[in-house]
Amino acid sequence: MIEIILLFSSVLFIFALKLFGRPSTAHRANTFAILAMGLAVFSAFNFDFSKYDSVFYITIFVSGLLGVVISKRVQMTQMPELVGLFNGFGGGASGAIAYVELSKSTLPLSDYFVAIFSMAIGMFTFSGSVVAVLKLRGKLNANYSTIATIFTAFLPPLLLLPGIWDSLFLERWGISILTLEYFILLSLIGGIVRVAVIGGADMPVVIAFLNSLSGIAAMSAGFIVNSIILIIAGALVGASGIILTLLMCSAMNRTILQVLKGGFGSTKVNNEYEKDPISTSPEDVAIQLSYAESVVIVPGYGMAVAQAQAAVKELTNTLKDKDIDVKFAIHPVAGRMPGHMNVLLAEVDIDYDDMYTLEEINREFSSIDVVIVLGANDVVNPLARTDETSPIYGMPILDVDLAKQVIIVKRSMSPGYAGIANPLFINDNSKMLFADAKEGLEKIVKSFELV
Amino acid sequence: METIFLLTLLITFLASFIGYELISKIPQTLHTPLMSGSNAISGITLIAAILIYPEVGESQFLKIIVLTALALATINIVGGFSVTGRILEMFKKND
Repeated sequence: MIEIILLFSSVLFIFALKLFGRPSTAHRANTFAILAMGLAVFSAFNFDFSKYDSVFYITIFVSGLLGVVISKRVQMTQMPELVGLFNGFGGGASGAIAYVELSKSTLPLSDYFVAIFSMAIGMFTFSGSVVAVLKLRGKLNANYSTIATIFTAFLPPLLLLPGIWDSLFLERWGISILTLEYFILLSLIGGIVRVAVIGGADMPVVIAFLNSLSGIAAMSAGFIVNSIILIIAGALVGASGIILTLLMCSAMNRTILQVLKGGFGSTKVNNEYEKDPISTSPEDVAIQLSYAESVVIVPGYGMAVAQAQAAVKELTNTLKDKDIDVKFAIHPVAGRMPGHMNVLLAEVDIDYDDMYTLEEINREFSSIDVVIVLGANDVVNPLARTDETSPIYGMPILDVDLAKQVIIVKRSMSPGYAGIANPLFINDNSKMLFADAKEGLEKIVKSFELV
Repeated sequence: METIFLLTLLITFLASFIGYELISKIPQTLHTPLMSGSNAISGITLIAAILIYPEVGESQFLKIIVLTALALATINIVGGFSVTGRILEMFKKND
C-alpha cells in the first residue's frame, strides 16, 4: 500500500515539473507538487501515528504556521532573500538528519560516507544561504577574498588534521578532534567563506547553486534512511538547481568556478568617460516617447531597489493607450535571482507575452524607436562585444545601443557591478535621465498629460 | 554490492535525467517560481525526520536535533509552496 502511494507521489512530482513548462499551466504545477508532497509525508508515517508524541506534532504545526506567515508577509522584491533562506532551511534539515544518523553509529560503511557527505553539504548550504541572505539585504558589503583564499589553501591540512592529531595526541591527552562536530564546523565555515566572497550581482548563480545543493543534501539523506521518494525528489531539485546555475553562468560568459572564486568587479579599471553624457528631462522623454512607434523597456536590479514596478505599469498603460508597442527585454541575470524581473513585472499585471528573452529581442533592437534602460548597467554594456580587455568581454548583452534612441534612467554615472564605465551612456543616440527609477517614470507619465 | 543499492542508483540517475530534461524546457519567465517550487520540494527531507524520530532513542540532545530538522523542513515546505502559489497566481492571465 505504502509503495503504491509513493509511486503515485513520484509520478505527481514529475508531472508537476512538466506543468511548470508553460505559464498557462504553471499554477496547476504547484497543486500537483503539494499533493505529491502530502502523499509522501503521509506515507512516511506508515499508518502508525501513535509512535509520535505531542512535542512532535506541535513542532510540525507551529513550523507550518510560521511558514505560512513568512510566505504571506514577504514582498515580491524580497523573493531572492526568501528563497535563499529556505534553501538554507532545507540544507540545514538534511545536515541535521545526517548528523543524528552518524551519531547512532550503527550505519553500514557505505551509508557512512553518504551520511558524511550529506552532513557536509547540508551544513555548507545552511551557512552559505544565511550569508547569501545577509548579502542580499546589504548587510555584508566588504570584500572577503583574502580570507577565502587563505581558507581554501588550508582546507586540505584542515581536513587531515583530525586524523593526524588523534593518532599522535589522543592517547597522551585524551582529546579527540576526529569528531562529527569538527567536520560540521568546517562545513559551516566553508559555506560562510565561500559565499562571502561573491558579490551581489552574482547572487542569481549563488542562489541557484545553493538550491541545487539543498536538493543533493536531501537526496543523500534519502540514501541514509532508505527512502526512494526522498532520493527522487532530491535528485529533481538537484538537477533543477544545476540547470539554473549553468544557465546563469553562461549568461555571464563565466564558469561556475570563476563565479564561486569571487572577487569579480573588485579590480579597478579605467572608469573615466571621454565626454559628458547628454542629459534629458522627464518632459523631453515624454515628447520623445509620444513620437515613437515601438518602445522596449530593459529592467534591472535598480527597478527592484526603487520598487518601480507600479510606475512601469503606469508608463506601459500610457504608451499602449497611444498605440505604441511596448516590450520588455529581460537579461537572464537581471536582478538577484533567475526570473526575478519577470516576477516583479507579473506582480503589476504585465502580460508575460510582452516579456522577451535576450535571444528573442536582440534581433529587433535596430528597428526599435526608443529603449528605456531602467536600473540595468552591465547587461547593456557594449564593451562586452567590442573590448577584448574588458572583464565582461564575451558576455551576452542586450544590444540596446543598436536602437534608434536610448534613454537611461539612472541616478548617477556610477559603474555597475563589474566596476567598469559603460560607453552606452555617452553614445550619440543615448540620453541620461538622472533620477530614481520610480520617480523618473512617474514624472514621465505626468508629463504625458501635458504633451 | 547488493542489487537494492544498484537499483537505487539507477533510480537516482533516472530522476536526475528526467529532471534535467523537463526543467531545460522551462522558460525564463518561470524561473523564479520554479526555483521557489523546487526549493519547497527540497524540504522533503522532512520525511527523513519523520522516519528517524521514533528510533532516536534516549538522547535528549539528538531528539532536539531531529525536532530542529523537522521544524526547518516544515517551514521550508509550507512556506515554499505557499509563496510559489502567490507567485504563480500573478502569472495567471486575468481576462
